[in-house]
Amino acid sequence: MMTQRIYIKRYTRIQRIFHLWIILTFLTQADTGFSRLFITTDFGRFLTWIFGGYATAIQIHFWGGVLMMVCFGTHIIYIGIKVDWKNWKKSIFGPDSMVPNFQDARHLVERALWFFGIGSPPKFDRWAYPEKFGYWGVFWGVPLLAITGLMLRFPLLTTQFLPGWVLNVAALVHRAEALLAIAFIFVVHFFSGHLTPSKFPMNEAMFSGCVPLDEVEEEKPAWLERLKKEGKLEIVQAKTPPLWYRILYFSFGSAAFAIGIYLVIGAVIYGRYVQLH
Amino acid sequence: MKKAVRGMRLVYLGGVMVPLIGLIALLVGPLLWPVWAEVKGGSKIYRYRERVASGYYEGYEVSPRRARATVARPSTKRGLAAYGASSALVRIRTRLPDSHRGLKFYYRNSCVECHPKQTRNLHSVRAGITCRQCHGAEPIAAIKYHYSPMNPIRRHAYVCTKCHEGANVAFGTYLIHEPRAESAAAKENFPVLYYAYWMMLLLLGGTLAFFIPHILMVFVQELAMKKKKPAIDFLLFFIPNRFIVQWREKLIKKWKPPIDKLIFFMEQKFVVAPRQLLSKIRKPANDDAKDIH
Repeated sequence: MMTQRIYIKRYTRIQRIFHLWIILTFLTQADTGFSRLFITTDFGRFLTWIFGGYATAIQIHFWGGVLMMVCFGTHIIYIGIKVDWKNWKKSIFGPDSMVPNFQDARHLVERALWFFGIGSPPKFDRWAYPEKFGYWGVFWGVPLLAITGLMLRFPLLTTQFLPGWVLNVAALVHRAEALLAIAFIFVVHFFSGHLTPSKFPMNEAMFSGCVPLDEVEEEKPAWLERLKKEGKLEIVQAKTPPLWYRILYFSFGSAAFAIGIYLVIGAVIYGRYVQLH
Repeated sequence: MKKAVRGMRLVYLGGVMVPLIGLIALLVGPLLWPVWAEVKGGSKIYRYRERVASGYYEGYEVSPRRARATVARPSTKRGLAAYGASSALVRIRTRLPDSHRGLKFYYRNSCVECHPKQTRNLHSVRAGITCRQCHGAEPIAAIKYHYSPMNPIRRHAYVCTKCHEGANVAFGTYLIHEPRAESAAAKENFPVLYYAYWMMLLLLGGTLAFFIPHILMVFVQELAMKKKKPAIDFLLFFIPNRFIVQWREKLIKKWKPPIDKLIFFMEQKFVVAPRQLLSKIRKPANDDAKDIH
């Protein structure tokens, strides 16, 4: 028999929608991008076949990118609304913010030392340093990909302001940044979200929006302490998600995981046969 | 916590705002000053001359200048001895009106037999364009011949516009026969591409080199950690426990004090000291007042 677990709220609904949005656009971009990058191999030809050909794939890639940019823009507006501007110092640099601080560097050192049995485990607050790194990776990656992508999409407009050889560099940077993002998401992010023993088979927090209290006690003790101190622990208690919703997001997450792993394996196998130029 | 916030504000201002402003300046700057993008042909006077000209151009008018950064450096050196300036014009093939002049059995060969590397370009590989569609029919003028259609001053009009309608001079400086980004040729002829490549590779390698060991570390430790224990116990489970305990005690004895010291030192230097400095800067008036009293 399972005992009743207490859940507390970690992500709001809008944050979860942002994550879902970025999942859908990112998978589209990765698939269509790879279909074009690997067109000289069977792997790329298969992907291109799914997306309706070389020319159609780039159209989907463009509109997927537009949706991703809209997501980014909406997120910027969301941040602007969410920051408490009267109390901006506390709001931006406080523990509920994604802005990295000195504490993160300390946690990193503590975490590494603890691995070798020195000292005690780091007391993470609401956001630990790997989570912050992932967030800022997307935050800088999306504009970079958007700018270079738009430059390549509209070369005639770009060359009214910049010399043509910038397009050579833009193509390289777009490709490299995309590979970096894909490597990080499909290897590091998926590994820590799906395969880490405490999270296996899937970390539900980002879909259900809540985490069990005992898990928080173990992983984010500083956050729990802060909640208790401020007396917010009762407020942030959340309902468990319904069964149909759990089934839905488990299948969705597993499908995303499978697509990611498929792309990574395909890239590793067929990478040497890619003919760029 | 407050200490850290104070220190971070400085780091944030220096480390985030400055690059952000730089990025914005980099993006907006060219909009204010498009001259940088345009090679000579962009200026009104040169466009006028081109319209009224009878086809005769002075050498200085048509030799590429601003765009030279991405084109191989002209050199008169061939073999052991260098050509003189005037003989170079005749003897070096990249400057001849017919670059294949006098080659034996020229008409029996295809381009690829002598220029195998030149097929490695985006237009050939991805769009299936052949050499002649851009380089034209015989005689093929050398790329640095002043009156060649490939000369940067008219390349956009004679070659690019066949497909890219509306191409301008700056568009023509896109490098079709791009060197491999990691090659020595790229370092010499296209340094921006070369350094962009190594920067992105460093970023990719650095991120993965940090995070793949990190996720493996977490993985191993969580497997070991039914109750909170360092992962080293799990890794060395085949060694009798007393050895591990001794070894770990030794390790802690040796490394804990210097590491604590280091953390303390860093905190003093980067958090406490700047804070004191700031408070000194902020309240000079109060100190003076104290002195007077």
